[in-house]
Order: sequence, then C-alpha cells, then structure tokens
Amino acid sequence: MNSPLEGGCTLTGALSVTTEIEGAVTVIHGPAGCAHHNFSLFHALCAGRDDPVLPAIVSTDLSESDIIFGGEESLERTIREVAAAGNCSLVCVLQTCVSGAIGDDVDSVCGEDYGVPVVPIPTAGFLGGGFHDGHVRALLSLVPPARGGKKTISANIVGEKTLEFEREAHYGEVSRLLSAIGVPVCTRFVCRSSVEGISRLPQGAVNILRDPSMVAVGEHLEAEFGTPYVSSFPLGPSGTICFLEELGEILSLDVSTAVAGEEARQERIFWEFRHLRGERIRFGEASGHADSLGACREIAEAAGMAIHPSGRQVPVPDPFPVGTGGIRKVLSLWRRACRARV
Amino acid sequence: MKQIALYGKGGIGKSTTAANISAALALRGLDVLQIGCDPKRDSTRMLVQGRLIPTVMDLVRERGDAGISREDVVYTGFAGVKCVEAGGPEPGVGCAGRGIIATFQVLERLGALCADVVVYDVLGDVVCGGFAMPMREGYAQEVYLVTSGELMSLYAANNICKAIARLSSRTRGTCRLAGVICNARDVRGEEELVGEFARRIGSTLVGFIPRDPVVQQAELNRKTVVEFAPESRQAAIYRDLAARILENRRMDIPVPLGMEELETLAYEFTP
Repeated sequence: MNSPLEGGCTLTGALSVTTEIEGAVTVIHGPAGCAHHNFSLFHALCAGRDDPVLPAIVSTDLSESDIIFGGEESLERTIREVAAAGNCSLVCVLQTCVSGAIGDDVDSVCGEDYGVPVVPIPTAGFLGGGFHDGHVRALLSLVPPARGGKKTISANIVGEKTLEFEREAHYGEVSRLLSAIGVPVCTRFVCRSSVEGISRLPQGAVNILRDPSMVAVGEHLEAEFGTPYVSSFPLGPSGTICFLEELGEILSLDVSTAVAGEEARQERIFWEFRHLRGERIRFGEASGHADSLGACREIAEAAGMAIHPSGRQVPVPDPFPVGTGGIRKVLSLWRRACRARV
Repeated sequence: MKQIALYGKGGIGKSTTAANISAALALRGLDVLQIGCDPKRDSTRMLVQGRLIPTVMDLVRERGDAGISREDVVYTGFAGVKCVEAGGPEPGVGCAGRGIIATFQVLERLGALCADVVVYDVLGDVVCGGFAMPMREGYAQEVYLVTSGELMSLYAANNICKAIARLSSRTRGTCRLAGVICNARDVRGEEELVGEFARRIGSTLVGFIPRDPVVQQAELNRKTVVEFAPESRQAAIYRDLAARILENRRMDIPVPLGMEELETLAYEFTP
C-alpha cells in the first residue's frame, strides 16, 4: 500500500506546504469533510511532535446547493472572512475534487482585492494527481516574484518533506554541514517559514533540494532567479563529501578544510562501531530507494561488514538519515539488529 | 403508473411534444405529471399559460431541502396536468447534472412522483450521469427518442441509444427504448429515413409529427396546440400520438449504430 506521502491527494500534498507558513491561512474549497480529514491528519502530526500549533485550515464548507449552483460565492465569502479576521499575512486557496469537477473559476475569485495576498494553488483533490503533485504545485505557486534583492553567500533549503518524522534532524545535519563551510541558510522553502522568509528566496546563492523529486522546483527557481541547485540532501559517506565539494564549486569556496574535518568525523564513527567488523548482513528486498541502498552498501563496506545472502537482515531506513550524522544512526540500527541474534 | 421520458437533441421540440402529449392524455381523463429536467425550465410553460413556474432547485436554494412542500413545486396546468420544473444553475456555473439528481431526491421525499402517467422531459442530450438519472434509477422506464431527419439529430438519438443500452445491461436496469418520434424538419424523405433508423436500432417509429405553423401560433398564444386549436390536424396528430404511447407495450434494448453506418444511412435517403 502507498504511504500517505506517496498515495495522498494533491490537497494533502499542497497542505504539507501551506500549513508550514507562519501567518498563512489555507482555505480548502470544498465540502467540510476534506478539511476535516486533513485537519485531523495535521493536528495528530503536530501533537505527535509536541507542537501545540493547530493547522490554520478553513473550509468553504460546500453544500449540495453550492455544487449545483457553483461554489464561487462561497469561496469569495470565505476568503473575505479570513482576510477580515486580520491575523493572516497570506491566504492560500486549495481545491478539492468536487470544486475541481464542477469547474469553479478559482483563479478569478482569488484575483479580487482582499487586502492580503491570496494565492490559488492548482490542486483538485485526486483529480489530476497525487500528494507529490500537490507538494510541487504548492511550491511553484508560492515562488515570490523576482525582485532586485542581491544574492548573498547563503543557501536555500527547498522542498523538505514536512510530514517526515525526522525532518528537523535532517535539516539540522544539513545546516551543520553548511556552517562547516561558512554558508548560512537563507530561507527554508518552505518549512517553518514566514511570508517574509519566503520573499528572501531569490537572495540565496544556491538551492539545496530535499531529494531529486524536487528537481522541477529547482529548475523553475534556476530559470526564475538564476540560482543553481544541488539535487539532494547528502546520503552516506562519499555522498556527504561530494555534497560539500559541489557546494564549494558552486559558491567558489575552498572547502578542503571542511572536507578533511568531515572525513575525520566519519573515521571516528566507523572506529566507534568497529565491533561490527566481520558481521554478515543483508538488506531487505523491498526496503529503501536506490540511493539509500547505495549508501547502505558503502556504510557496510566502510564498517567492515560483509553483505551476504545468508547474513542478518538489517533495515534500510526510510527516510534515510542524511549526512555524516546519518551514518551513526544507520550503524546504531544495524547494531541493534545484529545484537538481537539469540 | 406509466413513466415515459423524452430524450433527443436540443431544440428538436421535446418540450412541445411532451406538453401536447401530456395535454392530450389529461383530456382522456388521466392523471398526468410532467417533469421538466432542464435548467432553462421551459418544459411546462405552454401548460401553465406561459408562466415560468418556480423550480425545485430555486426553492432548494432559497429555503433549503427541508423547507419545501409538495404544493411548492407541483403546479396544476391545462386539463389538470401537474407540472414540475427541476431548474438548475445559471449557465456556466455549477453542475446541472447533480441538480437533476437532487431534484429527484426531493420529489421522491415529497411523494410527488405519482400519477397515471409521468412524462419526463429531459435536457437535450445525455451529457452526464446526472441527466441519465431518470433512466438509471428506473423513473423513466420507457424512453422515446425525439428526432428529425437531420444528421445531428439522428446522431444525438443514436447517442441516447448508447446510454439506454448501457443502462439496460445492468441487472437493476428497467429502462427500455419504447420508440422513435419524428418531429419533422421538412427534410425530404424524412419519414422513411427516421423509420429506417428506428428499424436499424431495433425499434419502431411510433409517430410522425409534420411541420405546421399552428405550433408557433399556439406557442405565441402560450398554449399547447391541443388547447389552442383542438380542431386542427396537428392537434389530432398529437392526440393520436398520445394514444399510441398509452397503448404501446414495445420495450427494446436498442443497438446503436456506428458513426459511419449512421452517415451512410442519412446519405442513402438524401435525394
């Protein structure tokens, strides 16, 4: 079965972006049920992270009569109510299957003057795509207009999977690597961002994509602002070194000291797990993506473990922990699997 | 209770035919209910002296589903024909097909779908599941295709055959094709052409309505022909058609034609 990340609808995908923006309210144009299910999902997730913030989601609460006669009036009324409440800096408008199917002219309604920016995001529930499409379309819709802001030696983090449980750990590792080469984060597009933060997007000198599924967004930002991109967070030992070198090349920085430091750090980790040398392991057939499996093999080899069909099955974590810090996490998991032997 | 539906291309004269059939049946002493299933709500106009009666959907919009009674939606017209209009959204917004479904749910709840004969006058073509609803749910058990000898009109009729064939293949499906009505456009060889079309789809021509200026005169006087000119030849034709429909027991699962076959057929009969 698909995970919610892969098998959800465009609405949930787009919400994973819009609910991350501080001060933004998301209007879901459709029956109340679509908002309810998503609110529950995001609320449960926030609660699971001990994050008391409720997702700012409002439904246009379409009834049968709106479906028959058109829901544009309900949408306009709802946006006006949200804008009049006066505590939001951005309104994002998402469509459900129902409003998509009856053909409401959402773009025109959003084009009215509400006193706050209103961004329609082309979603329509399951019509025309899944979770990933919604995620990408939301990001593309939120790209700020190109302004004369000067680029600084800084990096944007683009397309984080906001529903990922380990997202802050991944971000922490990437920002640690960036600080090792003296590059600050300009903005996260979008994860715990504000409208003001998003407006700084053109100032970043490089965009670091969460993973290759975000290439469409990277390409768009490159065309729009001339910002080059790195196509993924780093995975595994050599992936982490390559990541630093690639950034060094793009930003014309000497990263040799940082690389040497990182290699030493990796060596220390493998020394820490030296007791795993000689362990015979194998990876589960269905687990992990190709990149993750490549990183697993490299970690196993560097740790002196033998990959063998009769070896102990060890997990390929998904999402795969990033950077050098991720190596330690992977080895800890494998150690636990090996010690579980009777 | 006999439940018939008239389907056919837009502008072919379904409402005129339906209203005259309803009037003729009512004059025979039958309790007749005519339901217009079209947002432009002009199906029953000639039965109620040219008025546009409030529609089920307008009332649902104004008062909500629960605030409607049978008296609010059923209007009595010429010879006691009970008239209902489904209504629907303004052009270009919303979903009229869903409106038809909602209307039938309201009428069912109000117990308004009862008479000796119920005549459903359905919008131009079966463009979506909503408009097929009277067929699908067994409200319209006998479908009459209204067509002329013009190719596009036959094309629409043929499309409706596809819908009937599809729906009647289902175990629950009770909808059948009862016959073809030719509402003439003065195409030469028209009666023969439409008769042959009916035969090829596995049905029969139950009525040929010639073109007659009295239809327009009656319409300008906001009446059905049966009411406006009861002695006219055209009124006799409508009465005759109504009688045939009443007696008709024919129920076919039609076999729609291919586009090429349809074109060849039309070509053969064009002088």
